[in-house]
Amino acid sequence: MKITIPHMGNVYLAAKALFDGLGVDYVIPPMNSKAALEIGSFHSPEEICLPFKIMVGNYIQAIEQGADTVIITGSCGPCRFGEYCEMQMKLLRRLGYQVDFIVIDAPKCIGLKELMARIARVAAASPRSRAQKWRALAQAVRIMNLLDAIEAKAHEKAGYEKVRGTCKRLLHACRQEAFRCKTPREMLRCLHEYSRRLDQVPCDNSAKPIRIAIIGEIYTVIEPFSNLYIEDKLMDYGISTKRMMTPSWWMGNTIMSPLKINSPGIRMASRDYLPYYIGGHARECVGEAVLSWKEGFDGAIQIFPMGCMPEIVSKAILPAIARDKDFPVLSLVVDEMTGEAGYVTRIEAFIDMLERRRSHAVSRH
Amino acid sequence: MKVGIPRGLLYDQYHPFFTRFFTELGAELAVSPPTNRAILDAGIQCCVDEACLPVKVFHGHVSCLKAQCDLLFIPRIMRLYRGEYICPKFCGLPEMVLNSIYGLPETITEPFYADSMAGLRKWALRTGSRITRDRRRIKAALEAAIAEQLRFKTGYDDQGYPIRVALAGHPYNLYDTFINMNVRKKLNQLGIGVVTEESADEEEMAPEVAALFKKPFWTFARKTYGFIAASVARGRVQGVVYISSFACGIDSVILELVRDRIGDFPMLVLKIDEHTGEAGVDTRIEAFADMLERSGRVEDHHSPHGQCLSCCESPV
Repeated sequence: MKITIPHMGNVYLAAKALFDGLGVDYVIPPMNSKAALEIGSFHSPEEICLPFKIMVGNYIQAIEQGADTVIITGSCGPCRFGEYCEMQMKLLRRLGYQVDFIVIDAPKCIGLKELMARIARVAAASPRSRAQKWRALAQAVRIMNLLDAIEAKAHEKAGYEKVRGTCKRLLHACRQEAFRCKTPREMLRCLHEYSRRLDQVPCDNSAKPIRIAIIGEIYTVIEPFSNLYIEDKLMDYGISTKRMMTPSWWMGNTIMSPLKINSPGIRMASRDYLPYYIGGHARECVGEAVLSWKEGFDGAIQIFPMGCMPEIVSKAILPAIARDKDFPVLSLVVDEMTGEAGYVTRIEAFIDMLERRRSHAVSRH
Repeated sequence: MKVGIPRGLLYDQYHPFFTRFFTELGAELAVSPPTNRAILDAGIQCCVDEACLPVKVFHGHVSCLKAQCDLLFIPRIMRLYRGEYICPKFCGLPEMVLNSIYGLPETITEPFYADSMAGLRKWALRTGSRITRDRRRIKAALEAAIAEQLRFKTGYDDQGYPIRVALAGHPYNLYDTFINMNVRKKLNQLGIGVVTEESADEEEMAPEVAALFKKPFWTFARKTYGFIAASVARGRVQGVVYISSFACGIDSVILELVRDRIGDFPMLVLKIDEHTGEAGVDTRIEAFADMLERSGRVEDHHSPHGQCLSCCESPV
């Protein structure tokens, strides 16, 4: 069994650490690129959302490198993501690839027993002892949390750094070095080192950079390729960004949600605008817009793939928040046809607008 | 008290329930007229660009009604069957409308769970209390409304045509003859009868749906997939006509599942949006009708894709 996973931001690093720790055979697909997207959009249904297409590209590239088992997570709707596994299995079978899918789905739709059976299939491939398996899982979770913390730190500090580009370079070096690590332990050490180095980046604490919150559909905000590296671009402009949606947030939220005690802040903040969970992360998007206004951000950028059903609802609500709170929100829709020039122009215009609001004393800063 | 009910989305399927419920409570009703150009234009103007055609049309109905009623009913249909959803846009429909249209009267936006009697009662009490304080009257109205809905039968099952096709898609695309440009009439004129999912047997659909890896969590997906798969497998129809609104997330999934199931069985997918030109639709329907007619006459197998798919191993 040679396992692979689709890309989503830095998840591949945590997955690598987990598989290394478990001692199972795996393939990390090549980093997301035009090639993956082209393969994916060639084979995928036309109207399906962008994440599906990129993921299909990942699978095919990984299969070419010998992968025979795909692990993905699932959901029970009402967003389309829950149907990905079924469609992707059929699509790959039709293309003549022999691959197994292990779908880690919520226990409420497949039952706890089935979920355990599916996890056991992964665990059975590992030659390690039970204690070692648990340790590998714990280390992978720690790595994910640390990676998200490092990323958040770099994105925030980008507005304050004395030498423009220091944080961005450190962040990229961190990812590359972490990927070269052979064991989870080594990776943890490497991440701690980079976290420390980020803390030591010389900063101008009197600077008052523009601060933008990145909100929207979870895949397109986390996976930099799908949003045309918007966070890197904003770092280049010297803008401090924040994104609440991270893989580690998702893990915590998913574990807490059956008890309905997940993300109390978002629940409270979104109450006036969208008091129900309607699928996907629409409620989170609306809640984060309100929260980032409360936290004194200059504006927010919403990103979602073309045709994303939950985010269309939140896009209809965001203008009301912008109006009520005097809080600028830019909505960007991405798909395989998104052209970079037009995309960058819109971001730059948005930033210019935020800067001018400050100089004209319209904003609260 | 005048309650406004927009004639959009699932109105065609559930209007007996809602109209009876509100009239039993003693409210006067204002229902928007059948969709027309003015309503569509009004909807396009106020609705968020990315939404699908039926949602835009619903916005149009609301803006047409807003001056004619004291209380506007915006259904938030969360669930019709246990463990299934409709579509995220249905759950967030009131928020979309409230934040896109100005000058609305008071609105009823209670979540509607039709999968249990308790859910219905909760909805009825919360909604009814906006009109009357008499709880007994609300309960009676609910009973009457449910009875009325159960008596109501919808759907097409044309008899006496040489060729029959399955007409599939979301009910609001099938029964709104303005937005689908009366596809049924066009097909009938070409000598093709249509059958819709209401005429299908639940027991025939169930095994088809159960054969999927994952149970579909959308009511639309389960019914439409089950209907098409069952009627094709049993040879009840010679073709499938699927009416789908542009950028519909659910259709993108259903169509893929259906294609995988029925292979190269003739299927025509008509995409509709606010720009759809009637001439193009006519041409496509005529071509499809010609193809069906010829495949009856010629023994050779005609593939709908323009190549003989049965000759090659993999369709891709």
